[in-house]
Amino acid sequence: MSVMGKVLFVDLSNKKTKEEKIEREIYRKFLAGDGLGAYYMNKLLDGKEDPFGPSNVLIVAPGLLVGSSIPTCGKTVFFAKSPLTEGWGEGVFGGSFGLALKQAGYDALIIRGKSREPSYLLIDDGSPEIKSAEHLWGKSTRETADILKKEEGKDFSIACIGLGGENLVRYAIIDCDDRQAGRGGLGAVMGSKRLKAIAVRGTKDIEVADPEEVLRLTMEWYKKLVESQAYRDDTLYGTGEFLEWMNRERGTFPTRNWREGVFKERKEIDPYYWVPRYSMKNLACIQCVKPCGKAFVIKGGKYKGTKLDGVEYETLFALGGNCGNPSIEAVAKANELCDLYGLDTISTGGCIGFAMDLYENGILTKKDTGGIELKFGNSEAVVKLVEMIAKREGIGDILAEGVKRAAEIIGKGAERYAVHVRGMEPPAYDVRGIKGMALAFMTSPRGACHLRSGAYALELTGKFWKYEGVDRLSSKNKGKEIADMENFMAVYDCLGACKFSRSLFLIDGFSDILEAVIGERYTENDLLKIGERICNLKHLFNVKCGWKKKDAKLPPKMRIPIPEGASKGSFVSEQEEKEMLLDYFKARGWEEDGKIPREKLEELGIAEFFDR
Amino acid sequence: MAKYIKIYPERCTGCRECEQVCSLFHWKVVNPYRAGIRIERKGVVEHFQYICNHGVNCNFECMEACKFGAIKKENGIVFIDHNTCTGCGACTRACPNQAVWLFDGKAYKCDLCMEDGNPKCVEVCSQKALEVVE
Repeated sequence: MSVMGKVLFVDLSNKKTKEEKIEREIYRKFLAGDGLGAYYMNKLLDGKEDPFGPSNVLIVAPGLLVGSSIPTCGKTVFFAKSPLTEGWGEGVFGGSFGLALKQAGYDALIIRGKSREPSYLLIDDGSPEIKSAEHLWGKSTRETADILKKEEGKDFSIACIGLGGENLVRYAIIDCDDRQAGRGGLGAVMGSKRLKAIAVRGTKDIEVADPEEVLRLTMEWYKKLVESQAYRDDTLYGTGEFLEWMNRERGTFPTRNWREGVFKERKEIDPYYWVPRYSMKNLACIQCVKPCGKAFVIKGGKYKGTKLDGVEYETLFALGGNCGNPSIEAVAKANELCDLYGLDTISTGGCIGFAMDLYENGILTKKDTGGIELKFGNSEAVVKLVEMIAKREGIGDILAEGVKRAAEIIGKGAERYAVHVRGMEPPAYDVRGIKGMALAFMTSPRGACHLRSGAYALELTGKFWKYEGVDRLSSKNKGKEIADMENFMAVYDCLGACKFSRSLFLIDGFSDILEAVIGERYTENDLLKIGERICNLKHLFNVKCGWKKKDAKLPPKMRIPIPEGASKGSFVSEQEEKEMLLDYFKARGWEEDGKIPREKLEELGIAEFFDR
Repeated sequence: MAKYIKIYPERCTGCRECEQVCSLFHWKVVNPYRAGIRIERKGVVEHFQYICNHGVNCNFECMEACKFGAIKKENGIVFIDHNTCTGCGACTRACPNQAVWLFDGKAYKCDLCMEDGNPKCVEVCSQKALEVVE
């Protein structure tokens, strides 16, 4: 019920495809989405693979509730070994791709090998075919999707890469319907396989166990969703709604490559300013009734004609505050270019801000930047650099490697300015003032990420779910909190539930839903156990890739106190970092060096993956 | 009583939740191809809803075209009787609003949820891009 029963394997090297049944036991233990991904990544890879090599996989798995009509639960997950972190890679999006894949008959698509020529994978209700993409190579994500829809049919869903993926930019992403997934370079993995796009059409019925009850629950949750505060915030102003609050009340909005925690020149960046002026309407992920997307259109001036689904909170930080860029039009233009080239805006902005910091400190000069005055606040430079990164031109070629490798290449003390955890540039939470998130950045399986734990709201407001009285400036007792939140969010990524539903469903809200959709009852504990199982699998994968405890460390800038604002003076000390990490390992039942003991794997029913 | 569902494409977000609840209500499965409303993404920020307007903006060309009497009208609602429908597609070609389509050997279109009189698509459209007009 609501699962299609099959996985499709595609080998691009020998152009062979194969369908395989997914056993009921696998669905029971791992559900779908994140669970299937964690299962297959461990089953198929040993961690030694070259992320750009043919033995890396690209896996796509829709959430369990995709196509169940349950509102705001339409997310799909991508997986691969990440070229940015050399470890676990995953990305979630709300494009229609997952729905199409399920209707084509699959709960997972696994792509291996490498095509000799640029290709695209066509799946039309099953019947996979590998076709030439010579005429698409080099084209933008939008153009690629438009052409494929004309050639194959307008009801196809297209997931594709742009120049960023083709040029193996280590943080290139995959695009579908102008939604993006794949922080950590999953788009580059696709590019390394010379796979330009995947076009899917599916017409199969998606069944549910109790249709009347599912419809009733859909209507019930719909009402709760549209009456929530989150609905008001997201539909009126988008994900950046809290930007002003974050700056003024918390002072934890990373600015100018993490020099400061307050972006004084944020007037235009604030959605309260730009939504009335530039947003034409709301845009949504598939199946979502609380649309946070905004149809941003620039009708005149220098960037006339710019059109995108944006600008998200993270991008307001990355291409705005992190670069000292006060111009919303320049941010939007740079955002649009990232979408067209298929680049992750967070890492792109992280790299540009990093380069600006180096320039201002004399480590990079005009000779290195090709004549660009690469100072913070140079809006035009932000736009220009996105293009240079996608095309790997000049300094763009170095920045395309991510801040960690760029710092190694540049040398001259650049490492002090590189802000990353295990190679992943962090999102817009200045963790010097949000200590639980500092831990979350260290423990997230894909490097510095806020969504794996989703603990930012808890830390910033002090309460969420079963936790209250949490002090963001304290590093005490954060181990269990972050471990619990990671298990919580892994459940969401199995179900395809959107984390921006905030405190609506929590976990117990899904018990009735799952019973009606798949005909089986899962209690909150059952679901969290699955979440724990998946989090352990992801970490196990990282260990196989060579993860060591010393890699889970914060960058040098986290030792420098935030200079001004509501979190003035706050920083994370070496002692706090050590304590929080040990606390977390203890909460997880792992050893002091972060390895997972066999007993834990047996307890979770995944000892078959044990490898010392 | 609902006369038809008015569309406001400039408000449509492309979530397509309407398609899912329509097919679930009528056919007990989720399948946009069985829905009586179809959403098309026309551009980066543009969407359009294809849905029958029951004579407000047409001359019942579908009923005219059907040689098998499978398309009927009751209380102003135009609906298709799947027991009689042969899937010939004449109605889909005749409709000036592209609001009837074939799938799996049958024709599908909006029936204003005549089973209970409460259009489900409107009920889940949070952006009010669909409106029941009496």
